[in-house]
Parts: sequence; C-alpha cells; structure tokens
Amino acid sequence: MTEAKPVAVGVEASAIVSELRALGIDHVICIPDSYQKTLIAALRDDPSIRFITACTEDEAMGINAGLYMGGKNPMLVIQNNGIFASINTIKAIPLDARIPTFIFVGQYQRDPMVPMEESRSRAVRMVEPTLDVWGVPHWRLEGPDEIGNIRAAYERAQETMGPAALIVGAPTL
Amino acid sequence: MERNEAIEILAEGRGDAVSVVTMQSVHPWHQAGQGEIFHVDASQCMGSASSIGLGLAVARPDKKVMVLDGDGSLLMQLGSLVTIAGQSPANLYHFVFANGLHQSTGNQPLPAIGQFDWVALAKGAGYADALRIEAAEDLLERLPGIFAMTGPVLIELTIEREDREPLWAGVPMAKQTALLREQLAASS
Repeated sequence: MTEAKPVAVGVEASAIVSELRALGIDHVICIPDSYQKTLIAALRDDPSIRFITACTEDEAMGINAGLYMGGKNPMLVIQNNGIFASINTIKAIPLDARIPTFIFVGQYQRDPMVPMEESRSRAVRMVEPTLDVWGVPHWRLEGPDEIGNIRAAYERAQETMGPAALIVGAPTL
Repeated sequence: MERNEAIEILAEGRGDAVSVVTMQSVHPWHQAGQGEIFHVDASQCMGSASSIGLGLAVARPDKKVMVLDGDGSLLMQLGSLVTIAGQSPANLYHFVFANGLHQSTGNQPLPAIGQFDWVALAKGAGYADALRIEAAEDLLERLPGIFAMTGPVLIELTIEREDREPLWAGVPMAKQTALLREQLAASS
C-alpha cells in the first residue's frame, strides 16, 4: 500500500530569511501565527531586521504604510484569519492609498495532506477566494521548490504599489 | 476648546513635524495650510492614524511625528496604544481630539462617555507620558513643552461639540503618500 504524500511540505525558516534578506526587507510587522512559528523566531532574532509585533492586522497595515512613506522596505507576517479581519484596511491603505504591502499569510489549521480548496477549515478554503474578490494577487509556498514565489509576490507589490500575498501552506521548519 | 482653535495652535506650533490627521480634523488642517508638506490624511481607514504615525516615527526617528486622532477613531484600534508603547518612539506625539462623539456620522455618542479616561489608558498602555488639556490658552502655552518631551506622549484635547455637516479635504491619500515619501526622502 502506498503511503499518502502531503500536498504541502514546510520550508526551512533559514531559507526564507535568506530570500527576504536578498529582497532588502528591513522591517517585519507581525501578528503571531502558529504556522510560521520558526520563521517568526528567526526574523525576531535577525539583527538586520526590526521586528514589530502589532495587536491587529489593521494596525500592521498602517504601520507598514508609515514605514514605506518613511523610506523603509517592510513586510507583514500574519495568519489567514487576519485577512478576513482587515478587509476594510486592505481596501483603504494598500489598494486605495497605493502602498506596497507584501504579506505572508499562514494557513492556520490547514492539514498539509489536503488541498487548500478541500480543507475542512473555512478560513483555509476562503482566504484565496477572498483575496481574489479584492483583486489581491497571491502565490503559494507549499514546498522548497516554490521559494521563488517569495520574490514574485514581493516584486508584484512593488510594481503595482499595492498588496500581494504569499500563502504559507505548511508550517515552516 | 473648539476644534478650530486647537487646529490653529497646532498648525502654528508644528514646525517641521510630520503630520498624520484623520476624520473631522482633516478639513480644518488643510484649511490651515498644513496639507501640502510632510503630511498625510488617514482617509477611509478610521482608526489607522496612530499606526501610520508609528510607522513614520520608526522610519524617521530624526523627525517629530504628530498624529491628530479622534476619540472615536482611536477606540476602533485601541490596541495601537500598546503597539506604540512597545516600540517606544521618542518622536511620536499623539493628540486625541476628544468630543465623545462620532462627529462624521452625525454626532452619535461613543460608548461609555465619562467612564473611560484617555490619560489613564495611555499611561496604562505604556506611553512615556499622557496629559489632558481643556482650554485653548493652555494648549498654546504648553505646546512647546510638549514637543520637548520624550515620546510617545498622548495629549487629550477636550473638544466642544460642533453641529455642522461633516467636511472632508477631498485629496486622494494615494497622492499624499507618494508626495510625503518624496519629501521625506529629500529631507534626509
């Protein structure tokens, strides 16, 4: 009997941090997420990055905007529920005010053995359709071979001066 | 004090501080000639002024950043007080126009008027200091000293009720953010 393979596998936090360093990320605004626990720990410890913990995703979008206007190169690390919680701010700041907003979205409660679309979790299933409704481009990170999607999402946010999301589909390692 | 009195005093005492202004202080701030340089309105994102101000203050510690917030606005993202305190921006001055009302929607009252205390909330959140100013002449006298304080400082301004239609400056935030980014880059 063949053992089932996971749809998504975790990516080493160190590899992600290397990619973010290469993109010149200097500030991370974070709402804690269990799916990105190792990544968050690595970012918090990185001396080249100022790590800011916010209380809500709404705040994180505002802080990101202020940092951008002040000449910095920030990003957000949040979880899927944070997208639903901050839709009005996504509308007003990244979209209407045209602020590059590069967002890692952890798929909290996603079973990596199951495709996102078939997840038992409504939050997991609905995050990508919600981003689509609002015209927020998104990429997936479901294994080490997709690490290039980090740069793709970052560059889209800069080019369009708007939001772009990377959906982190398995717990970071 | 009246809102316009406070606006005039803050405009006069602003110096080269970066300003982030929201809700019903936006229009008078522009009318006072403060909307063109080192400025952004927090438009259509009620509650975000303090967070935008924090980002600016962290990015540019060499500049003073003043946030002209509303009491109803700040209640929408009250946790930002704690987030700000966590970063301890020494250059952030958070003015809260407190009239106890959602003026933009027709002077509908805030919850728990008279029961909550902005000075206590800010100090409890971890701000370096907080104070309340009720009269325009006191604001005029104390403003230079406020800008000499180490932030983050919250200054509650007791504002009288206004019975007028809501007013907006009508300047797109996207245009302001691009301009502010350019101005700040040129001033480094």
